[in-house]
Amino acid sequence: MSDAESPPEFDPEAPNTGEDFEPVDVFPDSDDFDLRPGADSCYKCSTCDTNCPVAEVDDEFPGPKFQGPEQWRLKQSEEDYDVDDSVMDCSNCMRCDNACPSGVPLSQMHNTARGEYVSEQMSKFSVEYWRNRILSNYRTSAWLASKMPRVANAAMNFGPARWVMEKTMGITSEREFPAFATETFREWWRAEGGAAGSRERAVASRERRGEDPDADKKVAYFHGCYSNYNTPEVGKAMVRVYEHFGYEVVVPEQKCSGTPMFANGMLDDARRHAEANISSMADLVEQGYDAIASCTSCSMALRQEYPELFDIDGVDEVSSHTFESLEYLRIHEDVRDELGAADVDGELAREFAYHAPCHARNQGLNNQAVELFRDVEGVGIEDVGDSCSGISGTYGWKSEKYDKSMEIGAEMFEHMEDADGKTGMTECPTCAMQMEHGTGYDIRHPLELLEAALVE
Amino acid sequence: MTSAPHIAVIGGGSTGTGIARDLAMRGLDVTLVEQGNLTHGTTGRMHGLLHSGGRYAVSDQASAEECIEENRVLRDIASHCVEMTGGLFVKRPEDSEEYFQKKLSGCEACGIPAEVISGEEARKMEPHLATDIDKAISVPDGAVDPFRLVVANAASAQEHGARIETHSKVTDLLVEDGEVVGVEVEHDSGTGERVHGRTGGTEEIRTDYVVNATGAWAGRIGDMAGLDIEVRPSKGVMTIMNVRQVDTVINRCKPKGDADIIVPHETTAILGTTDEEVDDPEDYPEKQWEVDMMIDTLKELVPMLDEARTIRSFWGVRPLYEPPDVGSDDPTDITRDYFLLDHEERDSLGGMVSIVGGKFTTYRMMGEEISDHVCGKFGIDADCRTADVPLPGSEDFTVLRDYMDEFGLQSPIGRRSVERLGSRAEEVLQTDGPNPVVCGCEGVTRAEIQDAIEGSGSDLNAVRLRTRASMGNCQGGFCCHRMANELHTEYDESTTRAAWDELLQERWKGQRHALWGEQLSQAMLNYALQATTQNRDNDPAEDDSIDFAAFDSGPEDVEVVSDASVAADGGYDGN
Repeated sequence: MSDAESPPEFDPEAPNTGEDFEPVDVFPDSDDFDLRPGADSCYKCSTCDTNCPVAEVDDEFPGPKFQGPEQWRLKQSEEDYDVDDSVMDCSNCMRCDNACPSGVPLSQMHNTARGEYVSEQMSKFSVEYWRNRILSNYRTSAWLASKMPRVANAAMNFGPARWVMEKTMGITSEREFPAFATETFREWWRAEGGAAGSRERAVASRERRGEDPDADKKVAYFHGCYSNYNTPEVGKAMVRVYEHFGYEVVVPEQKCSGTPMFANGMLDDARRHAEANISSMADLVEQGYDAIASCTSCSMALRQEYPELFDIDGVDEVSSHTFESLEYLRIHEDVRDELGAADVDGELAREFAYHAPCHARNQGLNNQAVELFRDVEGVGIEDVGDSCSGISGTYGWKSEKYDKSMEIGAEMFEHMEDADGKTGMTECPTCAMQMEHGTGYDIRHPLELLEAALVE
Repeated sequence: MTSAPHIAVIGGGSTGTGIARDLAMRGLDVTLVEQGNLTHGTTGRMHGLLHSGGRYAVSDQASAEECIEENRVLRDIASHCVEMTGGLFVKRPEDSEEYFQKKLSGCEACGIPAEVISGEEARKMEPHLATDIDKAISVPDGAVDPFRLVVANAASAQEHGARIETHSKVTDLLVEDGEVVGVEVEHDSGTGERVHGRTGGTEEIRTDYVVNATGAWAGRIGDMAGLDIEVRPSKGVMTIMNVRQVDTVINRCKPKGDADIIVPHETTAILGTTDEEVDDPEDYPEKQWEVDMMIDTLKELVPMLDEARTIRSFWGVRPLYEPPDVGSDDPTDITRDYFLLDHEERDSLGGMVSIVGGKFTTYRMMGEEISDHVCGKFGIDADCRTADVPLPGSEDFTVLRDYMDEFGLQSPIGRRSVERLGSRAEEVLQTDGPNPVVCGCEGVTRAEIQDAIEGSGSDLNAVRLRTRASMGNCQGGFCCHRMANELHTEYDESTTRAAWDELLQERWKGQRHALWGEQLSQAMLNYALQATTQNRDNDPAEDDSIDFAAFDSGPEDVEVVSDASVAADGGYDGN
């Protein structure tokens, strides 16, 4: 047979380098579960597998290439083709998204397959289902605990109670539950005068800074559950730093971002929460507010997972107006210049061992804290490397995953111990839990240091 | 006659193996010879449509009726080869309403269950259909794997005593006293299973009767005995998409035309086709524009095809035949019916019959008619049982779901394996040793590869056809060497190497027509991997074998690392 004539034009694919953070719209015409066409971008190079922290420690886990493009391509129609149960071993760190040189929508494929697995194959009477459901609905437990934080703190770490939780629910007793604050962030916010108080303070800042007092600088804060119930100091720092730069802050009604729900395949729960969040954020975005999150997984959910998984009115507008808190300031303000003149003394004049969360990495934010603070007088900061912390939200809380979680985290622990600083820093609340658990260090959020450097 | 007559069947496609099975089941002594692999000719180069008959319901109602009859038979006897996807004849706004009505009434007249559905209902079934599709006729089209079907027919024939010789080309017909008395074949590598590098040889197979079932090649066989068989080979291009954009067969409801069908096939979708007469079934131009035209036309039905990844394209030749007095100019006007040419009657040459024309869906019916004819010649009164006895792999198919989980495979891999193997799944997949996935794209495990090797010797292309290994989106980039590795230790290094070379060549052949966009990236990655890790960029003229003994065998006193400290990526414990 004769040779074929070659195609006349050469039109190379532009690789997705991860610099542009655009949710992948694989299947724009329909909102059902079919992601097979997403497999077209995969050329099997296995870079995702070599970057997967779970595959590195779990020989039974087939890795993201199988979970994503291979499994979807082998699947045929939802009813007849089961999703392999190994999808529940994925920690949803989403490093594969970043690793892929070819733009395969890996985490979307995993999230969708996991959702399908949980809704169609997992027994709703199983312990695993209820354990996962309780873990992923952390907001509900936290809300309850915040009603009587002291009792909750004592009860949650009460030995025999933890033993029972381990035995009956499969929640590891190796970890200490994070303490609940006696005053939530939202309670504090109301006491500070809410939006009206913030506006006054922002106007005062603008005047002090020599800016137009009527400048259109306003943000809607997505604090997430953890800043509200466990670390209100992060939320307070956000508000004070933003007001320092002349921004009016509003704190809209909000629910869980959905991150732990995606990771556990609870897509119905996640959608309910996403709908509430989008509904309150979309109105503000329309009025010119940008949405700011201090937790990198929250910003990830609003930016990428919502539009990839849900077809909700306003989702794209909210997604494109969502930013992480440091990122936003670095875009709009000359933060480094102000920090150049700053001098940190007092409690946070320390050396920090900084860990970039995987979800920060996915948003291209892995260097921001080090770049911001390395020249600040009175503090030191050192990046502890690019490994995953291993906890991945709820993953490290599951008894059967605990050892793997610690094995993944071992590299980070070791690097933290080798670093000069004996205080940890990260944007992610669960990475912080893992860092503290593995090293015993106190762990702080970059906003807290920014507050210490710039505010009063 | 004291013993059963010995029949030579030439051609290892659907017709030839169908005839071999039928005759063998009726107790005749059968030898089937095929110049390449099973399905080497037209059968291996089709779009895999199990016709409902809908495509012929207006123009050729006799063929349409045969199709629906055989469609029902194959669902029964070849359930592991058939996927009943259903089919749609879709009408675009510019397509003729009159023809749509003719199609519908034609289906009714031929007994083909047909139902009109709205464009909206059609899009509900197939979300990627164009939004301006008016309406559609739903018919029981299906998808069939021609490789699996032919291999199963050959296996059944063998079970009934037939001898199957692949890679055995007929070089002459033996004619004595105005009668064909046998065939002369050139065995590529001896008889039985193919083994690369084994010396072949010529064999005269003396028979009582010869059946020429070589389709587009029938004229060539005829020439050997001075017969004039006017086959009119017509080429058609088919393009394989990386994934299934549709799960239903999509036909365009138009009188005739190129590029009017999309068939979901296993993990892929196959676009078809064109129809152009060629002189030589083995040498005709394959042009990129034919592929481009097909995608451009079919995207009117499924717009996403425009941007979707194709993994390869191939051309097949139809064995069209029309009696010399008809004289159609356009190959699309030539009937799809089949003809039995009794050369004794027609050419006064006894001992041979040719079967020409026809189509894959009716292969069994053609086999039955030829077998009746052959039995008639020998006065044998035996009933045809091929419509009732399931093929190997299609027995007791209903129990499959029960043992899906038992083989320790991941769900989609187990599912695909069991679908391919049908009722043979248990005997093949139940293995004591480790059973790793050899081909990740298609989900093929070692056990299935080993089973195929048992059936086809060192021929990795035959293993590929039996298992689909190397037929996924990397087109063998990540598994050809693993498949070759499975030949070891049963076959030696040079045999393995020759089989591996042949497989790689075959894999590259079809990808030449898909080298743009994603498949170009794939091809470049495959090339880089194969060049840098497998010495595939060596001088092809130099075929000295490699002196492995000259290589360093590694440090003598290497410390053995226990399993527990080896990370999944092969690194040691996080370091």
